[in-house]
Amino acid sequence: MNEPTAVPALAEGLGRFRRRRWTGDLTFRSVLAVVTLLVSIVLAAMMAASFVTASPVYQNFGIVGFITGSKWAPSFTVYGAWPFIYGTLLTSLIALILAVPVATLIALLLTELAPARLRAPLGIAVDLLAAVPSVVYGLWGLLVLVPAMRPLEQGVAATIGRAIPFLGPPTPGPSYFAAGVVLAIMIVPIVSAVTREVLAATPRLQREAVLALGGTRWDVVRTVTLPIGRAGLLAAVVLGFGRAVGETIAVTLVIGNSNNIGRSIFAPGFTLASVIANEFNEATETLHPEALIALGTVLLVMSVIVNAIAIAIRNRFTGGTHRGF
Amino acid sequence: MASEGVLVFVPTSRGRLVRQRLFVVLAIAALVLALVPLVAVFGYIFANGIGSFTSIDFVLKDPPSDLTATGGGVRNALVGTVEMTALASVVAVPVGLAIAIFAIEVGGGLARAARFLVDVLAGLPSIVVGIFVYTTVVVTQGHFSGLAGSLALAIVMLPVVTVSAEEVLRLTPRPIAEAARALGLSRWRSIVSLFTPMALSGIVTGVLLGISRAIGETAPLIFTSLGNNFFGIDLGQPMAALPLLIYRDALNSAYEAARQRAFGAALLLTIIVFGLNLLGRWLTGRRRLAGSRR
Repeated sequence: MNEPTAVPALAEGLGRFRRRRWTGDLTFRSVLAVVTLLVSIVLAAMMAASFVTASPVYQNFGIVGFITGSKWAPSFTVYGAWPFIYGTLLTSLIALILAVPVATLIALLLTELAPARLRAPLGIAVDLLAAVPSVVYGLWGLLVLVPAMRPLEQGVAATIGRAIPFLGPPTPGPSYFAAGVVLAIMIVPIVSAVTREVLAATPRLQREAVLALGGTRWDVVRTVTLPIGRAGLLAAVVLGFGRAVGETIAVTLVIGNSNNIGRSIFAPGFTLASVIANEFNEATETLHPEALIALGTVLLVMSVIVNAIAIAIRNRFTGGTHRGF
Repeated sequence: MASEGVLVFVPTSRGRLVRQRLFVVLAIAALVLALVPLVAVFGYIFANGIGSFTSIDFVLKDPPSDLTATGGGVRNALVGTVEMTALASVVAVPVGLAIAIFAIEVGGGLARAARFLVDVLAGLPSIVVGIFVYTTVVVTQGHFSGLAGSLALAIVMLPVVTVSAEEVLRLTPRPIAEAARALGLSRWRSIVSLFTPMALSGIVTGVLLGISRAIGETAPLIFTSLGNNFFGIDLGQPMAALPLLIYRDALNSAYEAARQRAFGAALLLTIIVFGLNLLGRWLTGRRRLAGSRR
């Protein structure tokens, strides 16, 4: 008696259940898709708006003319980005030269040498360096680091600097070099974190084989870790470069703010990011705000290229399993 | 250094041991070298800023209208920072989570495009984000506002939330997903009731790291929220923030009063950021233990 009625009821219940499940999934997916689509459109529109706002400057000076123009004189409506591109590249390069060896050694210490108990706390301490707000580094750099480094800069400028103008006077304190040192402090944790991750992924078996053959930890690093982790190290360096290129406030406070290309690394200058931050709120001359936004688009293109390179290197290295940083 | 140069060419085990020792010494020296700035910065800010913490007025009063005058506090900046960061989180957390879930559970062209955009955002200088918001929101509205500042901070937070959420969601075990399917659970149900709770502490860590990143940002606020010397909670008006106040006072650090205010605000901001950061890391540490028990 019960069976014939139970089966259709069950079937009907199951059907309703399926339908609800299906509509539930569909709604869920649609909501996610709409959110994702909206965000993508908004972000793409914002990027496009920056280029549109900057376009009068590009039309006026030409893309190549704007980028290679070495004179920035808002009161004469002359805008060239080269002094700032130069400052950005120079400070980032100084930062890399100082930070990469230190960061790599720290990564090796934390993956190969340190006792297991110490690894996590030391790693967190290094990571905390990355958490200090940029403006706090700037404040410290301005009031402590710049005055402290000035005697060193003056010493170098007075000796080696006599032969090499690039290391010569003027030495007012705030400079490309000071900015490079602050940037170095700021990118050590980034470079070290990525390197650490890459080094930890090198095969355990080969490391142990070297140790079994009587090799030291250094032999492990020399023959296994570094050769295998090479691509990852490169990705870490490129990523650190990308971070240094975009750093704004700390650099603005210690670079000395000059529109001219400094002859020496001890001379004051500007980076792309710092000139935008410094001049934007007082930009009243013709095309001045547009020119600063155009500098922003240069920075945007630079950082997208740098990051794409880093992601490509790392994806090749890790087989694409790790996406994003 | 000279002895090392000689020993490199002597292939004895003693040479290798010396190089090993040199490697250890250099590595430890590098760690010390990197931690010196951490100690120096925090020590300096602490020593100079702790004086401001002796009076409760520091968080209950606004800065004097003349920035060279002593007294007053940073109430407006603290409230502005909290308000803008809170609004930014309300926007960035659900949106960031949605993109992460969409990228993992649905996939396809749109997901890849969105993930690419998030990767681009993650590497983008925060000042460029400020320019994005300026050229769209500020120019359209015709004035600076806390709302524009919140949006800029949300965009800074978004990639941190998405990337970390995606990482932990990927770690949820496949057998559990299969078991859920076998029991007839719909996919959205298993995401909402199974995977998200499992990954929750990891997601919360990502959110905390995102907040700690956004809360210390100055560059995207310079031409979105601008800063304000007066107290206000109206998001339609230019709004003060701790990093903006520190930046302004650092630029005027020749004045004793401005310098002292900058130190106090910097200490307050650093403590907030470190606190959020350590809390997030502590949660991740616990998650590993909890995960292994499940």
